[in-house]
Amino acid sequence: MPLVGLRPLPSKVALLLLLPAALLLAACSGLPEGGLPVGNEHPPGFFPVAPATEQGERINSLYPVVFWIAVAVFVLVEGILLWIAFRYRRRRNADPDQLPAQTHGSNLLEIAWTAIPAIIVTYLFVATLDTLAFVENIEPEPQGVIIDVEGFQWQWTFRYPNEGLSFTGVGREGPAMGIPINESVRIRLHAQDVIHSFYVPQFLYKKDAVPGRVNEFDITLRQPGTYRGQCAEFCGLAHTDMYFTVLALERADYDVWVEESREQPDEETPPPDAHVIEVSTPDVNNFDPPDLTAPADTTIVFELSNTDPSSPHNIAIVGAMEDGSDWIGLPLADAGQTATYTAPALAAGEYEFFCSVHPTTMRGTLTVGN
Amino acid sequence: MATTTLAPRARTYDRSRVYEWLTTTDHKKIGVLYISTAFLMFLVGGVYALLIRSELAIPGLQFLEFETYNQIFTLHGTVMIFLFVMPMWTGLANYIVPLQVGAADMAFPRINALSYWMIPLGALLLFSGYGLGGAANAGWTGYAPLSAREGIGIDLWVASLVLLGTSSILGAINFIATIFKMRAPGLTLMRMPLFVWNTLVTSVLLLFAVPVLTAGLVMLFIDRNYGGGFFDPALGGNPILWQHIFWFFGHPEVYILILPAFGVVSEVLPVFSRKPLFGYKAFVFATASIGALGFSVWAHHMFTTGAVYLPFFSFFTFLIAVPTGIKFFNWLATMWGGQIRLSTPMLFAMGFIALFLIGGLDGAFLAVVPFDFHVQDTYWVVSHLHYVLVAGSVFGIFAGLYYWFPKMFGRLLSEKLGKVHWALLFIGTNLAFFPQHLLGLDGMIRRIADYAPNPGWTELNFLSTVGAFMIGASTLVFMWNVFVTMRTPADAPDDPWDANTLEWATTSPPPPYNFDALPPVRSERPLFDLKYGAVEPRAAAYPAAAGETHEETRADAPEEVLGEPVEGHRDEEGEDRPEATPQVSEEAPDARPRETRPTRDEIPPPPEERR
Repeated sequence: MPLVGLRPLPSKVALLLLLPAALLLAACSGLPEGGLPVGNEHPPGFFPVAPATEQGERINSLYPVVFWIAVAVFVLVEGILLWIAFRYRRRRNADPDQLPAQTHGSNLLEIAWTAIPAIIVTYLFVATLDTLAFVENIEPEPQGVIIDVEGFQWQWTFRYPNEGLSFTGVGREGPAMGIPINESVRIRLHAQDVIHSFYVPQFLYKKDAVPGRVNEFDITLRQPGTYRGQCAEFCGLAHTDMYFTVLALERADYDVWVEESREQPDEETPPPDAHVIEVSTPDVNNFDPPDLTAPADTTIVFELSNTDPSSPHNIAIVGAMEDGSDWIGLPLADAGQTATYTAPALAAGEYEFFCSVHPTTMRGTLTVGN
Repeated sequence: MATTTLAPRARTYDRSRVYEWLTTTDHKKIGVLYISTAFLMFLVGGVYALLIRSELAIPGLQFLEFETYNQIFTLHGTVMIFLFVMPMWTGLANYIVPLQVGAADMAFPRINALSYWMIPLGALLLFSGYGLGGAANAGWTGYAPLSAREGIGIDLWVASLVLLGTSSILGAINFIATIFKMRAPGLTLMRMPLFVWNTLVTSVLLLFAVPVLTAGLVMLFIDRNYGGGFFDPALGGNPILWQHIFWFFGHPEVYILILPAFGVVSEVLPVFSRKPLFGYKAFVFATASIGALGFSVWAHHMFTTGAVYLPFFSFFTFLIAVPTGIKFFNWLATMWGGQIRLSTPMLFAMGFIALFLIGGLDGAFLAVVPFDFHVQDTYWVVSHLHYVLVAGSVFGIFAGLYYWFPKMFGRLLSEKLGKVHWALLFIGTNLAFFPQHLLGLDGMIRRIADYAPNPGWTELNFLSTVGAFMIGASTLVFMWNVFVTMRTPADAPDDPWDANTLEWATTSPPPPYNFDALPPVRSERPLFDLKYGAVEPRAAAYPAAAGETHEETRADAPEEVLGEPVEGHRDEEGEDRPEATPQVSEEAPDARPRETRPTRDEIPPPPEERR
């Protein structure tokens, strides 16, 4: 088993290239060096995160009902327990032969504390069914935006079949999903390899992405904002880092976002004297070969052959850009595809390269020298 | 003469103590072996827990890498459930159940030894992953298809669980046979101590649930090694099938882990309140119905898969709250109006009620399916399951250990250290697990090695880590307590707690054959009846018996604690297992007529003869 460490991660460039910068700068500014970004400004308490969806609001309004019943039962039982502990303590000078009343039971009392909990849980069950019917309601023919979410080890791909858009996560932030608010949006969950779970705390909702199965749900966002989601079902090595972002946008902003997302980064033509390195990605843990060499001050062309049947990959180099940020090869090579990336010329030295989809597991050393 | 070359048949072997413990079929020795092995595993699982909590104390990866972290939480869960709580309950039941039903041993003593020795072997298999390319790393639930893709550690995990499961099945059969066939005369089903009832229901659950897990594990093994395709959609399989199989075992498993704790609490509360259990029949009914309902709720672990019929499983999950509620209120009514002694076993039993209540109420929250959508796979669930397993099972285990320690080792554990242990564990449990509720509500998911530094998360996680270390410290206090106590002379009285049930009617510790004489059983509290005048003292109730007895052992015991010898007990190593149930006449000539038993709500007359 490979043991992977975690080092400071390149992140800002990836976001700038893939996503409209303006929308995400706010999220990026909270990035501590090397750590996970802050995604939830709601301080923890006895009540769930403030909901951002219509469905979440219904769940949120059911919660206090259960909560206060539970508090009442808690106070009752703990109160009686404490009362007993103080009131009925055996006195120090008590006659050891004097027994307390030997009560064996009481039909009336026992029927009472069978019937009352039964009534309470029946009430809760009915309330549950009511909320459940609303939350799980699905329109037979989705009218609005449809988003196909695909989970794979350990990232997400969001596809907009009607808009022709596709985003795959890179780095620890993952991809962004634009959603217009006040519209019912259909989300369809797929999984390539193992079970994942699509979870946004502010939705108060999660659903599993199961291989061989499509799970669907409708959701209507109410509050514009940026919400961070995460895979909730343990899915292997880098499950910790399987993040994504939801951008809840007004309809007009959403249309702008769709247009901007369509613009692809320009393809560069490599100079003829470039040094070509062939590298393949057999799985989510390794590059083959694991370490690379290149001549100094020469443009490097990577011919990446993704032989992993289950996941997209790419190649990126830590600190290879002139401003000290990371160079990232885009677009990603999908499973079984090849891609050609042109990296800038590098001064002699040792560089670290990685797959920006799997930054925590796929890393290697690029030695640049004469 | 030729005969001189033959060893004399009746020679007593000079066996070393080690040999004796390795080959024993005595249920008490096997019980002690189970308990010590389980406690050792509690320490191992505890170290894993402290590693997890240390890593999570502050955001960022400090000293564990992803792969190591994943192995640690997988083994933490597996060790705590399969190698700590289950063997611990089997061990306690092994020691106590034959004594409580007045038997000389378990029904199948050799099978009993076999089921114990499978446990260390299973542990060895599980840990051998460390030397063979990495331990299991797919979580204790081993969800397919992840578990079908990971390394060799999973194969060893599968083999280990099959072995441990077989051990549990054999143990369950043994308990069922013992409880049904070897009860003392007069000990009808409805007079059995609640710990015996809970062991019986637990054994039935094991018998139905574990084979299902074993089948699932074999399917997983075939998928992994021979391309079986049970759980692989590409080959026409279904990943959800694993979850159905696993949780069809896994939910009854929860009751397998907690029902014996209910039993211990139901033993301890009456003794330390000096009152009978309030609503004995309701307890039996509630225990049986929890066991039955436990088989109808498995898919409430799968609400977010989108592949189960939600209302059905929601309804039955709610329904379980009813028998559990009966238990809580009957426990409170047992203590109500009593003479409460806050000795260590009682403190643990009351701590159980106080804290398990939180775990139980959490269960009702989770039955609310839309709320489950939010907190499933978050720290809220981690908090819930630890309030059930630490505040429930662990408090129950320590209540049982403190309560029965004098019976097992003839020494009373120090009350002072016991109370320090209890206080540390009580505070530590709440500190460690309550903040996790809040983290889960705020969206912190489980099984992650690192978390975002969201407002308040660092503080709550740090608090949780402090609590975990307090639990660790409390365990050290307990070990010190045992160490100190074991160095004192074994002078505990036979019945130090003024208890009610048969195990206290023999010496501490009991002789290998358990009982010289049994008191008559006329209610669920035979010893109470004996002490407080409901029946005549036991010696008078016994017919003189003939046959082989342990004269040597008996000679060491003071005259007055021995009744008449009981028929049928031979050497524990003997080829003839004894019939084990002493033949006591129901109609003993001197026994007081049944009508003079105190009736409900009637204080019995002051005892004439107290020991």
